[in-house]
Order: sequence, then structure tokens, then C-alpha cells
Amino acid sequence: MGIEFGTTAWVLVPLLPLLTVVIVAVGPRESCERRARIGMLPIVAAFFGAVVILALVSVQGPVTVRWYESSAPANLALPVGFYFDRLSAVMMVLITGIATLVYRYSIGFMQQEHGYARFLALMMLTVFILLCMVSSANLVMLFVFWQLLTWQLYLLAHRYDHQPTLDGTFKKFMLLRTTDVVFLAGIVVAYVLYGTIEFQELALRAASTPVMLALWPGVIEISGTTMITLLIFIGAMGKSAQVPLCMWLPASLYAPTPVSALLHAGIINAGGFLLNRLAPLYGLSPTTLHIVFAIGMLTAILGASMMLVQNDIKQTLVFSTVGQMGYMIMECGLGAFALAIFHLMAHGLFKATAFLNVGHVIHKARQEMMLPHVSHGAEEFELPRLTWATGFLTTLLLPLVILLATHGVLAIPLLESQGVLIFLFFAWATSSQAILTLTRMRAVASWKVSLAMLGTLIFVVFVYLFAAESFTRFLYPNPDDVARYFQAAALPGRLFDVLVGGTVVVTVLSWAYLYARAHGRTGPMPAWVEELQRRLYVLCMNRLYLDMLHARFGRSVMRLAKEVDKRAFERLP
Amino acid sequence: MMGDGLSSAWLAATPVAGAVVGLALWARPQVLKIWTLAAALAGFAVPCFMIGGTAGGSGTFWFLYMLPLAAVLSLLGQPAHPDNRAAWLWTLVLLGLGLGALTDGAGLRPMLLVLIIGLISGLLYWYRSVAGHLPWCGIGTYGLGVVSLLVALVAVPPVSTTAFLAACAILLPLTPLHGGYVAALRGLPGNLPGFLAVMLPVLGMHGLLTLLPHMSRDVWGAVSALALASALYGTLKALVQTRVRLLAAYTGLSFYAILWWYVAATRSAPPQTTVYLLAVGFVTSGFLLAWHAVQARYGDVDLCAMRGLASMMPRFSTLFFLLTLAAIGLPPFGVYAGFMGMLLTPSIPLSGALVVIIGAVLASCWYVLGLAQQLLFGRHRPDLRYRDLSSTETAALILIVALLTVLGVVPPRLLDAGAPDPRVQAMESSLWHR
Repeated sequence: MGIEFGTTAWVLVPLLPLLTVVIVAVGPRESCERRARIGMLPIVAAFFGAVVILALVSVQGPVTVRWYESSAPANLALPVGFYFDRLSAVMMVLITGIATLVYRYSIGFMQQEHGYARFLALMMLTVFILLCMVSSANLVMLFVFWQLLTWQLYLLAHRYDHQPTLDGTFKKFMLLRTTDVVFLAGIVVAYVLYGTIEFQELALRAASTPVMLALWPGVIEISGTTMITLLIFIGAMGKSAQVPLCMWLPASLYAPTPVSALLHAGIINAGGFLLNRLAPLYGLSPTTLHIVFAIGMLTAILGASMMLVQNDIKQTLVFSTVGQMGYMIMECGLGAFALAIFHLMAHGLFKATAFLNVGHVIHKARQEMMLPHVSHGAEEFELPRLTWATGFLTTLLLPLVILLATHGVLAIPLLESQGVLIFLFFAWATSSQAILTLTRMRAVASWKVSLAMLGTLIFVVFVYLFAAESFTRFLYPNPDDVARYFQAAALPGRLFDVLVGGTVVVTVLSWAYLYARAHGRTGPMPAWVEELQRRLYVLCMNRLYLDMLHARFGRSVMRLAKEVDKRAFERLP
Repeated sequence: MMGDGLSSAWLAATPVAGAVVGLALWARPQVLKIWTLAAALAGFAVPCFMIGGTAGGSGTFWFLYMLPLAAVLSLLGQPAHPDNRAAWLWTLVLLGLGLGALTDGAGLRPMLLVLIIGLISGLLYWYRSVAGHLPWCGIGTYGLGVVSLLVALVAVPPVSTTAFLAACAILLPLTPLHGGYVAALRGLPGNLPGFLAVMLPVLGMHGLLTLLPHMSRDVWGAVSALALASALYGTLKALVQTRVRLLAAYTGLSFYAILWWYVAATRSAPPQTTVYLLAVGFVTSGFLLAWHAVQARYGDVDLCAMRGLASMMPRFSTLFFLLTLAAIGLPPFGVYAGFMGMLLTPSIPLSGALVVIIGAVLASCWYVLGLAQQLLFGRHRPDLRYRDLSSTETAALILIVALLTVLGVVPPRLLDAGAPDPRVQAMESSLWHR
């Protein structure tokens, strides 16, 4: 157990938000506002503490603080211990940073609301839970805070006399709880097979003693590692809103704006963090990584598609988050665990800003009848030949050129592995989106647009490339580990070719369609394509009917329960 | 520790004597309540003096403390109303008999169990107006329990052990013998359901511990299958209940089925099972006592008739919410610790049964949280005059929540240090395998 005092003090950083909870929650109502302002201090201190921890672990290496015997915990249900490494430190900096901004915003935003102090206290309790979760020393402690996070998300709904809010939070809790119990099943399987709850020890034992489980004796067999990682991944799917378990996120629409900001910028990243924390274990199971990739890709596509058909600014942002979480999970599925952390950080910062701004936009829209500007919708879409050619060529070729030119200075084995797919996919997708936004600008000379496009693309590509490089080097300093993850995530050759080819075709077709539409050259569309388009639109509009399926499942269970109740023998006189 | 006839007699006699003396205070409900509380506390103190120094602790050892504690907590929040007097005195009588059954090695235990079961059946008949009808199913199940215990006394193994197992399944509810448990929680007045929610399962578990080494693999297989059916049945029944007492009873059935499955599947009862048993018992008791407080104000209303208590009864709502948190198996409460402790044992079989068990826990979130949401949230009814919990009611519920927290954080091995091996204990007891 040997704990040094210096490192034990690090535990205070995750505990500091609790001090804010006490300051805000305890005291007379009259001094609430003043206490709320004083409550800023611990959270700011937690942020600086997290930065110091990040600096220290970067130099000294990871630190473990345990209050239990790792070989035989006295209370296996509550083994309290903290593990500070680069991953947890990065997450702590992100969480405390966003929490500081959101808290400061909430002090003003929620001031007139009933239950102001309770709201702030609950929010800081959530931050405490998040910090403890990312610095957990073992799987069970992580699960303890994982569950508490589910509960906090239920409590943060705030308006308990508003029926749609209650329905939404109940649905959210049940969906997340479902994934929590599957996560629990994963922990149970891990403990039964390998006899440990420690992260590193679990991966070591799983690597040294492969176990096969018979799901159907003689017919279906699955490796123990695959079983564990799959079950835990379902837990991650819930928190990170992956299809088909994403419907709790739109159901949280009625939560106050600061909660949305914290949720979309911090809480939802839990899945990506979990996969990173267990990366050594996931690296042992190519099957799981492929499933992770498939689910992530599906979520990215469907999330983005659903985003396009929303007519509400908050819902648009919600589905944008779903799509982004899909990207993040997909990155993990391709073995680029560190890139997923970069992605979740960038997305967190962006989404926190967007959500905190949404309140003002809605407020402004209610005051100004001209918002949103009608002229945007009626905008003529023009795409000059030069702009189009620049966009097409640079999007398609430039990422590849840069990748080939820089691979000599990169430590991560992108070219030697299928990591190149991730890089190209994200470069193409992101730059296409950025360029499309630019080309929508009116009355701009085409050469300027072309230059802007070129600059955007180079920026995007370099950011991706060096983010991947530096984050991988920082979070996973051992290049062998990185190579092993990429190797484990490698898709079957033919499938990989199809995916690369498919991505290229989609990019080319998108530009062709864009050009044709801009020049009024839309060819005759077969009826079945139009019909398919219409059906897809309706499907996305109705959020894949997942809400309906969820409700139908609930009704079926209740019908069965009523039938059982009606026929129960104890009802007989 | 156990089996000392004198100790057993003392333990049983103290609360029973308290009940007899209490009759003299019948006309003064306030004084009677204080007296019954003192008698229940004496029931708590006697084990400390008589056996406190001789044993390091075991599941059974802790049961001896938990029964009087359950009695004290159930009595504490009771309004000093004349209608509740009989329930208080019966609580003491049942406590005495329960303590006697827990401590008596072999001789009197079955007779004491027969007495307990018979007494509850009689109370169910006497208070049939509380349930609204005569609970035949409950009385019938208890009748079967009496017959099972008598058969266990006179027959030889394996008939005696099987008969005793049936009696245990009536006390620690297992489908299809759960009728008595459900009827007791549904049909008895005052604090009795809150007390019996702890006492009956504790007695059942105590009996089960003695049976552990004597049952064959086939019997455990059958018990395991019944436990899974019980978990499903309890879950489905709980989902459709609109009466809180019935909901609490079926929640208990579903949760205890998990315990039955675990014991049957692993053929062991580590200290985590004690944590789980006591936690589920006290959670059920807490719900029943909290609901009793609501009933005392607004009558035996349907669940759908109540809403919006969060804003009008904040103390009640906070404590009820904490109980909900404990019931749905969230940390740091005992249900979570017991359940996790049971699952995180290397001997647990990885089979499809685990899916049913985890599904039952998941479903409990549905109906327990549904209950809390219905009661506490939404717009309050303007036609009701709301009054929050009194100080004694609050104290009782706070103590239950605190106890659940202690059960959640205490290392389970503390509940087992120096405990006699149940197998050895059972070998010493010659009753069930003559």
C-alpha cells in the first residue's frame, strides 16, 4: 500500500469540487449568490491542480494511491484508489477547465431560477464524480463512479414538475442503466476469468493466459478477452450515445443550458476515456475493435444524417454530438486511441462554447423577428469552375501528398498500418465540410475562395497529422504498444480496400454533385432513388424510430406483466 | 455461542416479557410506545451482554443484533395512536420468538418457527380488514410452512431436509411459496410489515445456512431454477403494482430470488450474502415505513393518487429518494455492496442465469424509480393538506439510510471474522439429518 504524503495530496484535486458543493449547498438562502461566487475558488484550484498533476506525471510517470491491498481487497465492492497517469491528467484538465467555464456561466444564467443552489451543487457533484471516475485506480471504482454519473444525469434535469422533462430523464436513466449493467457483466466476467480488477494486471493476465468461452458448447466459442471488451464496450456505447443507444441524448433536451454544455463537452466523453483506459485489453481483441469501428462508423453517419434534418438549434447540436462521438469511437476501433482523446478534447471545447452560446441565440431569436435571416435559405448557390477544381483536387490529393511527404518525421506507424485510412477519412471529411461552408459565402471572388480553401485544408491536415503524432507520443510513449493496437485493429485486406475506395468515391461523387447542382445540371434521377431519398429523410426525421421501438418494448413488457398479474395464483380468492 | 439454552431463553424472554408488561400500559399509548421501544432496545442489549464477548462475528451473530434493531426502527417512527398499540406489542412477541429461533441450537427452534408462522397466520386472519379480503394464499402458505416444519421434525433425510428447505422458502420468499411473505407485508397493520420485512428473511436465511451442506446437487439445481423463475415473477408482478406495500413485497421477492440463486449456484454463503440480505430487508422495511407515514396522513391511497411530494414534503422526499437509490443498487449502499460482493467471487458460474439475475436488477430500476418519480415529482395536488415527517419518523428513516450506508462501506469480512463455518455448524446440529 505504501503511500507517500506528497502523492496522496494529489487526491485532493478530484475532491475539491466537493468543497464547492458544501459551500454552495450549506448556508442561508440570502447569501446564496455570494456563496456561489466563493464556490468558484475550489473549482479553479482544481483546474490548476490538474495542470500541475499533468506536468508532474509527464515528467515522473504514473502515480497510484491505493487504500486497499491490490491482491486481496477488503471490500471488493468499494476498493478506493486513484491512478494518475497522462491519460487521467489530460482528462482532469479538460473536465476542470470546462467545469470552471460552465460554473461561471451558471452563476449568472441560473441566478433567477428556483433551486439555484441545489442546481450548482449537483453540477459540481457531477464534476467530482467525473474527476474520480477518470482517476480511478481499478475497474470497480471506475464502475462505481460510472453508475453515479448515470444517477447524476437523472438528477440534473432540474424541472421536476414538468412532465416531458420527467419522461426524458426517466428514459435516459433506464437506457444508461441498461448499459451500466452490461458493463457490470463485463467486470464480473473479467474477475471470474482473470481474478483481478486492476487495469494493468487484467491486461497482463489476459495476454498471458488466453481463455475461450463456449457460448453454445461445440458451436459458438468466443475468447474471454473479446467477451469482456464487448460487454464493457456496450457500457461505453451508452455513455457516448452510440447508435442504437443514443436516444437518451435528445431526451435530455429540457435540461438547462449549462447542463447541456457539461454533458456534451465532458460527460459524453466517458466512453472514449473508458476505451483508452482499457486500450491494452482492447488491443488483444481484434474482433471487438472491428465491432467498435463498425458501431462508430454507423453512429457517425446516422448522427450526421439526423443532424441535417433537425429544425431546432439544440437538437441540431445534439445530433452533431452523436455524429462526433461516432467519429471518436471509430478512431478507437481503428486503433488510434490517442487520436480519439484529441478528438474528444477538441469537440468538448467546441461544443461547450456552442451550447453556452445557444441560449443567447434562442433569446435573440425570440426578440428579433428576423432571426434566423430568411435570406440564407433563399441564397443562390454558385460554384465557379476554379473554386470547384481547387476544392476537388485539394480535398482528394493534398492530404495524401502531405502524408507521403511527412511520414519520415512521424513516429506513429500510419503508413505501415491502416491508420492511413483514419487520417485520410478525417482529413477528407473535415476539409470537405469546411470548404463547403466557405463556398456558401456570397459575393466572394473565386480565387480568394480557392486560396481560403487551400489554407483551410492544409491547416486541417496538419492539425490532424500532428495531433495524432503528438497525442500518441504523449499518451502512449511505447511505440510497440501503438503498433500493436494498429495491428490488432487492422481490417481484413479486401474490406480495407473497399472502405478506402468507397471513401474516395463518395468524395468524388460529392464534388461532382456539388458542381452539377451549382450549374443547374442535375440529371434525371431514377424514381427509386428519389423514393429512397424521401424514405431516408423521413427515417432520419423520426430518429430511426428508435424512440418508438423503445416505447413499444416497454409496452410489451408491461402487457406481459399485466397478463402474469391477471393469471397469478395468489389472486385467486 | 449458539445452542446455549439459557442464553436462548433470556433472549426470547426479554422482549416477550416487555410485551406482557406493556399490556398494563394499554390505556396510555404514548407511554406504551416508549416502553415497547425500551423493550426492543433491551432485546438489542441482551445479545451484547450474553454473547458479545465470545464471538468475533458471523452472519447469525449479526442477525441477533439486526432483529432488535429492525424492531426499534420500525417502532420509532410510529405515531402514538391507539390503533397502533397491538402492532407494537405483537412486534415484541415476534422479536422474542425470532431471537429464540436464531439462538436455539436444535431443540426448540422448529417449535419457535412454528409459533412464529402460526402467530403471523393468526394476525393475518385477525387483521383481514387491512388487506380488504381474507388473504387465503398467505394463510395457506403459512399452513404449509407449519406442516413442513412438523415433517422436518419427525421425518428422516432427505425428507426432513427438503421439508425444512420448504419452510425456509416460505420465510425467505421463493416462488411458489412467497404468498405468506407478500400477505404479511400487505395485510398487517402499523409497523409490523416494516419489522417482518427484516425478520422473516433473516430467519429463512438462518435456516438455509444450516441446510447448506446437506442438500444434494439435484435439489440445488431445482432451487436455482426456482430462483430464476422467482426473480422473473417478482419483477413482472412488481412492474404492475399500484399499491406501494405490494410493490415493496414483490421487490423483496425479486431481490431475495437473487440470493437464493447465488446460494444454490455456488453452494456457499459468504459474508456478502449477509450484507445483501440485511440491506434488502432494511430497504424494504424503509419503503414500508415511509409509506406508512404517507398512509397515516392520507389513508391507504393508490399510488396514482399521490404526486408532487418533493416540493411539499422535502424531508420525506429526500429520505425516500435515498432509499430509492439504495434499492436500485447504487453505491455506497448495502444492496450494491452485497450484490457486487456476491458477483465478484471466482466461484460464480458464467451462464445464462447471470443474464436473468442482472436483468432482474435492471428491472428493479424501472419500477422502483417509477415509484419514486410518481410519488415525489409532478405537480402537487392542491386539495391535500401536506405535512412533512415528524422528528421521530425522520429519525427512523435516517437511521435506516445510515445503516444501509454502513452495510455498503463496511468490509464484508468484518461480518465473518472468526465465524464458525456454517458447514461445521450444520454438522453439529443433528436435527435435520437424523
